[in-house]
Amino acid sequence: MTAITAESGFPAMLNQGRISYLRFAAYLGAMAGIAALAMFGVTAYEEDAFLYQILSLKGLVWGGSGALAAAGLAVVAATMKPELLNAKSARNITPWLDGFVLMVILAAVWALFEPAKDQISYDNQSNLFAGRIIMAMNVIFIFSAVSYIAYLFAPESFIGRVATWSAYTGVYLGGSALLLRWHESYLFNMEIGHAPVSNLYEVFILLFCITAAVYLALEKRYQAKAMGAFVMTLVAAGVFFGIWLDSVGQADIKPLVPALQSYWMKIHVPMNFVGYGSFAVACGAGMAYLVRYRLEANGGKSKMLAIFPSLDQLDQLAYKAVAIGFPAFTLATILGAAWAAEAWGGYWSWDPKETWALIVWLIYGAYLHARVSHGWHGKALAWWAVAGFLVTVFCFLGVNMYLSGLHSYGQLS
Amino acid sequence: MANMPPMQSFPEFIKYLWQRLGSMSLAIILLVVLSVASVIGTVLLQNQDQTDYLQQFGPLWYWVFRSLGLFDMYHTWWFLTILGFLMLSLTSCLWRNVPKMLKEMRSRKATVSAKALKRFNYLKQWQLSSETDTNALQESLRQRLQGWEFRLVEEGDTQYLRADKGRWNKWGYILVHSAILVILVGGWMGAQYGFRGNMAVPEGKSEKEISFLQGTETGHLTMPFEVRCNSFSIDFFPTGAPKEFRSNLTIIDGGKEVLTSDIIVNEPLYYKGVRIYQASFGDGGSDITFKLFHMDGSEAITTAKTQVYKSWIDTDTGISLKITDFKPYNVENMANPGEPKKFQDLGPAVEYEMRGPGLKAVKIKAFMNPFIDADGNNQGSFLMISLSGDKADYKPVALGLDLTNKDEWKLFHAFLRHLAALTENGKQTKEANLEAFKAAMTEVFGDNRPKGFQQMAMRTLQAVNMLPQLPWPILPMLDDFNQHYYTGLQLAQDPGMNVVWIGSALLVIGLCIMFYMPHRKLWLIIKPNDAGIQVSLAGMANRNHLVFNKDFHDLFTKMDNDFASFSS
Ligand code: HEM
Repeated sequence: MTAITAESGFPAMLNQGRISYLRFAAYLGAMAGIAALAMFGVTAYEEDAFLYQILSLKGLVWGGSGALAAAGLAVVAATMKPELLNAKSARNITPWLDGFVLMVILAAVWALFEPAKDQISYDNQSNLFAGRIIMAMNVIFIFSAVSYIAYLFAPESFIGRVATWSAYTGVYLGGSALLLRWHESYLFNMEIGHAPVSNLYEVFILLFCITAAVYLALEKRYQAKAMGAFVMTLVAAGVFFGIWLDSVGQADIKPLVPALQSYWMKIHVPMNFVGYGSFAVACGAGMAYLVRYRLEANGGKSKMLAIFPSLDQLDQLAYKAVAIGFPAFTLATILGAAWAAEAWGGYWSWDPKETWALIVWLIYGAYLHARVSHGWHGKALAWWAVAGFLVTVFCFLGVNMYLSGLHSYGQLS
Repeated sequence: MANMPPMQSFPEFIKYLWQRLGSMSLAIILLVVLSVASVIGTVLLQNQDQTDYLQQFGPLWYWVFRSLGLFDMYHTWWFLTILGFLMLSLTSCLWRNVPKMLKEMRSRKATVSAKALKRFNYLKQWQLSSETDTNALQESLRQRLQGWEFRLVEEGDTQYLRADKGRWNKWGYILVHSAILVILVGGWMGAQYGFRGNMAVPEGKSEKEISFLQGTETGHLTMPFEVRCNSFSIDFFPTGAPKEFRSNLTIIDGGKEVLTSDIIVNEPLYYKGVRIYQASFGDGGSDITFKLFHMDGSEAITTAKTQVYKSWIDTDTGISLKITDFKPYNVENMANPGEPKKFQDLGPAVEYEMRGPGLKAVKIKAFMNPFIDADGNNQGSFLMISLSGDKADYKPVALGLDLTNKDEWKLFHAFLRHLAALTENGKQTKEANLEAFKAAMTEVFGDNRPKGFQQMAMRTLQAVNMLPQLPWPILPMLDDFNQHYYTGLQLAQDPGMNVVWIGSALLVIGLCIMFYMPHRKLWLIIKPNDAGIQVSLAGMANRNHLVFNKDFHDLFTKMDNDFASFSS
């Protein structure tokens, strides 16, 4: 009963029934195996060299056994309870995990293009390959935004397909570039290596990919293509900012300050960006709503209206995006509090970043309530979604630029 | 308040207030007010020095802000009152809604009146022949809805098959809203019964008291145990950036050493309910030896031993040195402006303030080693001088001579003497300089000229131009040190913390239930009529209509197909 039914042919087959179910089980098993490696591996868990271990033979053995064991269990379970084969969670989650695996494979391929070991220097990082992939991602995302806008004015299905596929390409380029960058950070020196979520430049790339991915998921399910013109334009604007960051020398891999050397960073930061990315999509839906509202008010003769989702659908899409972002953002804030408790001695210190996260959270909390209660209707809520994202942007960027605090990772120096 | 009902009595008024408290519009207002209020404390730096505030805002605004508590605003009565209102409001809406919701979740009324049927969001009807096997009809729906709960009721000749998914969705609401209450209670417990403060423990010493900010004042609290810092160390990345701050601590409880352990940032120590965190570090009173170069031409070098945070006074000249800091590493960006940054460790340096009769007080950072440039050339000893006393105003001053080499100091004086003898009215010419240097070399080194004496010549020349400009009778340079750090610890106890974590877990679980397990209801109503039987499929969802819309349409299409086989 989901959108999967709308697909046909080969991809649909891959995402259905026992193939999807078994793959899902195998992925879960692989994750469990790697977690086991982290906890019980022969050489004790070395937090920051962990990516290395996963991509080594050892990682293959542990993850592979986990995958096999889980797949075996899954077969047994399915013979006893056949309806498991149609489990919705497997069908919904497996494509995401597939995508992740594809990114890992891409990153491994890119790694072949790295310069030789003696050509790699901390002082001049310009020859590292991830930089090139990121540049390609920048171009692709901008191209995608232009295509989506072109699609608004010339709704040919070909243009729409190009827009969508370029957005997908951008996501895979960005994601694999980040993984490659993680790998690269170890090339200088094992001690410098760390997950690529430690400075503004890196999290920006993460943000583009998550925003585009959340949008693409909604597009695929609800055929809301016109919204892409707005979401991908936001992404493209971010891309220009990222290029600027690079040009002022903020793109270098730097060692982690002691405060950031924690596994919390790896979960807290990405989780936050699931929130930010979803809020960006909600903002895109809100903008699309306002534009459509305008077009309808002007007599509704514009040809564009044909490809826009209806006002009600756009309203629902914004809600849907917030429904993804709000729990993620809540969890991220809680994880941040847990980290603060562990690193600084208190889970909440009214640090500007923390406080702005709370403000963002309260604004979207109020948005959700306004939806339920009477008196608030589409247009006001669409504005709310747009304004909420402006507050989010301030929380993300403004706080680092204008206010001081403990969250120095994003500081522009 | 336009629609306020007429009040008959005081209890009714209270009841009315209670209901308003639990209203959604108040909830929205509270959330928005809370977020707007929170902004203030992020724009206005909190808990700074009062004098800084006074300087920044001037007396009038300072007093206005101070009386509103804006310098520590998250603990003011008015901010806490907003939070209190939020708690009251939550309690009120839970109070009113929970019984209703619990009842609603339990009830699974299967029958639907014809009138109610029209109000469903989704409704589709089929007319089938009277021979249709109604059991097979039901079975086809059950087949399509794996994982749904079914309830069949027959009333008269009508069959009602109700299907539910996510029937417990309202638990999400209950969990989320009670979780906020739990978190706020946990926060209150921490504020009421916990503490958090700092202590600085020099290496080898122990400390028992923490200090913390309390509004605009500093409070103190004695811990039930003592913390001794055995050692503190910093580890560096190859790039020179700090990698790890590590303290080795011993807890002394009741005079006995009970626990010795290392702590680093992100890995605190836990003892008797108190967490001990690595928060900062600094100089813990290192031993400093100065070499004092007397600038009166006497060539004299004397030494002075002192410690960081102490003052040393030279009785002869009246010069006083107040030692403010010592750092064994000084990583500085050596690139010219505009070039890519290039960091280099300039080695140990001591910072002091120098005062003396007739002298302007200055702040000086004196390095122990001469500066070796990128090509490996010794550029001589150097200082950083700040005339304003502000660290931002430090300017490097190259002294010329490598003062770690006693011979260079001798050479310098010999050179000055020979130069004075060779030139009239102190005029320096190239030839005179060369001649004087040669003579000075012979005087100091005899015939064994040291390696690299050409560079020595350059340094000496520079010193001749530089040193006489310094107004001080003595030039104190860092000669030796024995470093002690202090470790800056933060100690905290928070009995409410676990309550907060429980609340947080409830919050996240509740949100997932609320958003991802919507309650969906479907009815299959089979009712005989004149033409055969009428089959209605009706549905509703409490949220997420976009998804449900699509799912319903998929289901309708499938049921259309299924029923087609019956109707023929
Ligand atoms: C920080 C505080 C609060 C948070 C985080 C919060 C969170 C939420 C969320 C996420 C929803 C779901 C909205 C949706 O499904 O689209 C919701 C619904 C609701 N909230 Fe709150 N809430 C808060 C405070 C309050 C307060 C103070 C009240 C009461 C006055 C309240 C009353 C309600 C009601 C009545 C609903 C609708 C429930 C339903 O129909 O399912 N909330 N809340």
